[in-house]
Amino acid sequence: MRVGVFICHCGNNIAGTVDVARVAAEMRKLPGVVYATNYMYTCSEPGQEEIKQAIKKENLDRIVVAACSPRMHENTFRKTIEKAGLNRYFLEMANIREHISWIGEDKELNTAKAIDAVKMAVAKVMKNKPLYSSSFKVNKRVMVIGGGVAGMQAALDCADGGLDVVLVEKSPSIGGMMARLDKTFPTIDCSICILGPKMVDVAQHEKIKLHAYSEIDEIKGYVGNYQVKVRKKATYVDWTKCTGCGACMEKCPTRNAYDNFNFGVAPTRAINIPFPQAIPKKAKIDPAFCRQFTKGKCGVCAKICPTGAINYEMQDEIVTEDVGAIIVATGYGLFDLDKFPEYGAGRYPDVITGIQYERILNASGPTSGHILRPSDQTEPKTIVFVSCAGSRDKSLGVPYCSNFCCMYIAKQAILTKDHVPDSQSYVFYMDIRSPGKGYDEFTRRAQEDYGVKYIRGRVSRIYPKGKKMVVRGADTLLGTQVEVEADLVVLATAVVSAPGAAGMAEKLHISYDTFGFYVESHPKLRPVETNTSGVFLAGACQGPKDIPASVGQGSAAASKVQALFSKDMLESDPAIAQVNTNACVGCLKCVRTCPFQAIKEEELRNGKKVAKVIETVCAGCGVCTSTCPCGAIQLQHFTDNQLLAEVNAICQG
Amino acid sequence: MNNAEQIKETIARIFPDVETVICYQQGFDGLHATPYFISIPEQVNKLIWNPLCAQNLTSYLPSIKKKVGIVVKGCDSRTIIQYLQEGLIDRAKVVIIGVPCTGVISVKKVLREIGHQPVVDVVFDDNGNIVVKTQKGEKRLAIADVCPDKCTTCQYPTPLVYDHLIGEPIASNKPKEDVYKDIREFDAKTLEEKRAYWEKEFERCIRCYACRNACPMCICQDSCIAETREPHWISQRLSLQEKFMFHMIHAAHLAGRCVECGECERVCPMDIPVAKLKKKINAEMKELFNYETGVNPDDKPPMYTFNVDEAKIKEHKL
Amino acid sequence: MSGVAGKELRIVGFLCNWCSYGGADTAGVARFKQPTDLRIIRVPCSGRVDPLFVVKALLTGADGVLVSGCHPRDCHYTDGNFYARRRLEMLKRLLPFIGIDEKRFHYTWVSASEGQKWQQVVTDFTNQVHKLGPMHAKKESEG
Repeated sequence: MRVGVFICHCGNNIAGTVDVARVAAEMRKLPGVVYATNYMYTCSEPGQEEIKQAIKKENLDRIVVAACSPRMHENTFRKTIEKAGLNRYFLEMANIREHISWIGEDKELNTAKAIDAVKMAVAKVMKNKPLYSSSFKVNKRVMVIGGGVAGMQAALDCADGGLDVVLVEKSPSIGGMMARLDKTFPTIDCSICILGPKMVDVAQHEKIKLHAYSEIDEIKGYVGNYQVKVRKKATYVDWTKCTGCGACMEKCPTRNAYDNFNFGVAPTRAINIPFPQAIPKKAKIDPAFCRQFTKGKCGVCAKICPTGAINYEMQDEIVTEDVGAIIVATGYGLFDLDKFPEYGAGRYPDVITGIQYERILNASGPTSGHILRPSDQTEPKTIVFVSCAGSRDKSLGVPYCSNFCCMYIAKQAILTKDHVPDSQSYVFYMDIRSPGKGYDEFTRRAQEDYGVKYIRGRVSRIYPKGKKMVVRGADTLLGTQVEVEADLVVLATAVVSAPGAAGMAEKLHISYDTFGFYVESHPKLRPVETNTSGVFLAGACQGPKDIPASVGQGSAAASKVQALFSKDMLESDPAIAQVNTNACVGCLKCVRTCPFQAIKEEELRNGKKVAKVIETVCAGCGVCTSTCPCGAIQLQHFTDNQLLAEVNAICQG
Repeated sequence: MNNAEQIKETIARIFPDVETVICYQQGFDGLHATPYFISIPEQVNKLIWNPLCAQNLTSYLPSIKKKVGIVVKGCDSRTIIQYLQEGLIDRAKVVIIGVPCTGVISVKKVLREIGHQPVVDVVFDDNGNIVVKTQKGEKRLAIADVCPDKCTTCQYPTPLVYDHLIGEPIASNKPKEDVYKDIREFDAKTLEEKRAYWEKEFERCIRCYACRNACPMCICQDSCIAETREPHWISQRLSLQEKFMFHMIHAAHLAGRCVECGECERVCPMDIPVAKLKKKINAEMKELFNYETGVNPDDKPPMYTFNVDEAKIKEHKL
Repeated sequence: MSGVAGKELRIVGFLCNWCSYGGADTAGVARFKQPTDLRIIRVPCSGRVDPLFVVKALLTGADGVLVSGCHPRDCHYTDGNFYARRRLEMLKRLLPFIGIDEKRFHYTWVSASEGQKWQQVVTDFTNQVHKLGPMHAKKESEG
């Protein structure tokens, strides 16, 4: 065996705190290592060239690169050695940057640690075996989960590129949060006016199949071949018959149903179409309020419906969709203000959230676009906006900035002045965050042209006084306490992960952070990929995002899917489990523990029963290997012997 | 416990439904019983049944393909149940003749008592004693005094699974809380004491693998990783480290599977308390998952399953 | 905090590729300083970690072993860490029985985004092992 070791300086990133020359010198002493060197940037073109040259000149058959994390450059160097004629699995990386040079200050200790890390990699690489991928067919159909603006954009871009798209939306209509907004910053163009045509495009696109009012039950399979069980929730209205005429909604005697679309600003009917531009424009019954369900009698809608679409007996229906990739665009949720009693939202009708105010401003909203405060339906003259209602507050578990509140507050303040010219708006803010194109100008316009008074400071308490709400807070610029008597208070509630985000991530096998936002593959360079091959992210499910950023991600995710589907066949990862049928005693404990049902029983020609791995299903976790008592089933590239070699290199070294 | 005649009758009845019956016959002297495979009913005459019939015969079951009859005691029956849990035998292919048991004899303990003299004859009296005759005389020993340790806390004197029961079921008269008393007592020692204890015990190991070979749950046999290079968990060096590792492998592979039949200790030529590690793990399995090996065929061995929320596993703090 | 040359102890870490190895990377990128005793072995999943690797390490020269995987329910392979949790808990309870302080072994869950938590885990565990001191210095069991 002829091992070559390449130690990267990574400029000063590694060489600054690790004596790379000494690491290389130490490696030359190891049995099996015939070549060891250090280089400024091993990942650079000349750095890779040097590896290739050394493989030829020194006749190397195993390569160790000590550099950054293998999560960063393992693929780069695998390709490098493959070009030089070696099997790509004859590469090992020692992570001497993220795990050593960047986290330790003592050069002596770092160098010793680096020597160990490279020794381990050498020990492992000497146990490596050549592995070969096989290829499998890709199902060029994509599922988009979430029909907000990010999901719609992704669906449209994929469909326009010729792909078949399955769009799954949880609520009865697509459109998401954007469909609820009145205007959009910084242009003040009407939200539904720009979103509506897109929604129609989705509805009319022959390549897009829409499952509205549907949720994901189960996801099985792997990149190129996912099977997704979609639960089409019972609407109690046969959508093949419903024309969306709205007669049922008009006649429905139940007038106190909770209106999800309007965030409860006003009640709706038990049978309803969420908003005039809804896609699909179909009615659905809310059984929690419908008298037919709560009292067992009513049937008004069934009588009135001209097409006989009402079906009180309807059940959820499960359909299975086979797709090759999944774009997750499940959006965000809003902070529960009950955790925030000092602001009184939910207790005082005139303390409302930003999105509720959006519905009040909206011409298709419950007040037809007239600003009327909820308590007495009068026009408010003094309006206070409170930014960071929950955001940037560690004690509430939301240490992050919600990204777009500063901007929509400015927008809402401007719109307020347009609607009620004799009104005065106040904004309590911590910092004004307006880094987008035309954004800062916009917040200035609110202050300079619309006379919105910005007060830098946190609000400590909001309480009623007669018909007014007193907003008490600090003005940190003046160093004084301020109290504003407001007619209406709008809280810019923190953006949190969508309800059920964690459960969805678990179904998808993707990671989520402490806050429930999904984790991208790389924070800068792989912003819409996940660590699960074939699953992509778009929009606010990854973190708070405004409309342009969400749309951009939708398009980005679509282009990633297009690239993935540009090949007919994909290469499988050969690092999967393999059975040594001589050693296997057929106890089949591995069959029990495999999380993917990727192992089955097989009878050999001599009648011996053994375990057999279904190669396309095995995901390479290695649970079987640590289950097998006789070491007969080994996860390739992470075999017992390979890991033992690493353990021995540390412990016996 | 003279059920021999009844067992013989039963065996005669289950032929030819079974091809073989596994039971006991006398070994090379009166103190030793040895497994006996009967393939025609006439052979049944040589069958014996007494407290020397200590071996766990069920070890043979997984490797036998044909339909077989077997004589089991309460403790042995747990192995069968464990096999059923793990899908290692087909219940339809085993006819179980269960015999309630009041305790067996540890030959090692008897030999110690008689100073390892050659045995001339062995008889059992009606008062629960074994009388061992040697050339130097006769020794009368209470069976209870020379039984293996496992019998002193036996909870299942009557087989938990059987097709034919010989005699009447017996209830255990041993307190349940005493089963893991020895483990608790040992655990109360200091870390240094415990480490020193095991090092002293394992130092004696000659790596003959008798414990493994006798273990009914050691299903790997020739594929045991103690003797392979693929994977290469331990070398053949006779160092304490390798011996220690071997016993840890044995214990880990029996986690939640050891039926506490004591065969490993019975056969160990060096008197190493090899069952102790496994018993400790069993105590923990009971505590963590309320799981007891070999009592309910519908249970799942705890290491091959999980709960999303584990009631008893708390996150460890640093 | 350790960090004195010659006083380092041998700590072996088994980290799952998707969460904890990523978490350690995240900590590195953020330059969260950590003690230098830990040597990391990358495995695909904590479910790949046979408890016997831990035993092997502790018996042959490690002073401490750390296993870290994805948080329960967040396993890249769905269930791997559920198996790991049972097996490693079994081991944790067995170690004192053979005279090894269970504090020398720790298993935990760190996600790829939890760089700060990773720093804390490494620091606290290293300190814990240092409090116990070397395991092998006084016991030269090898003849």
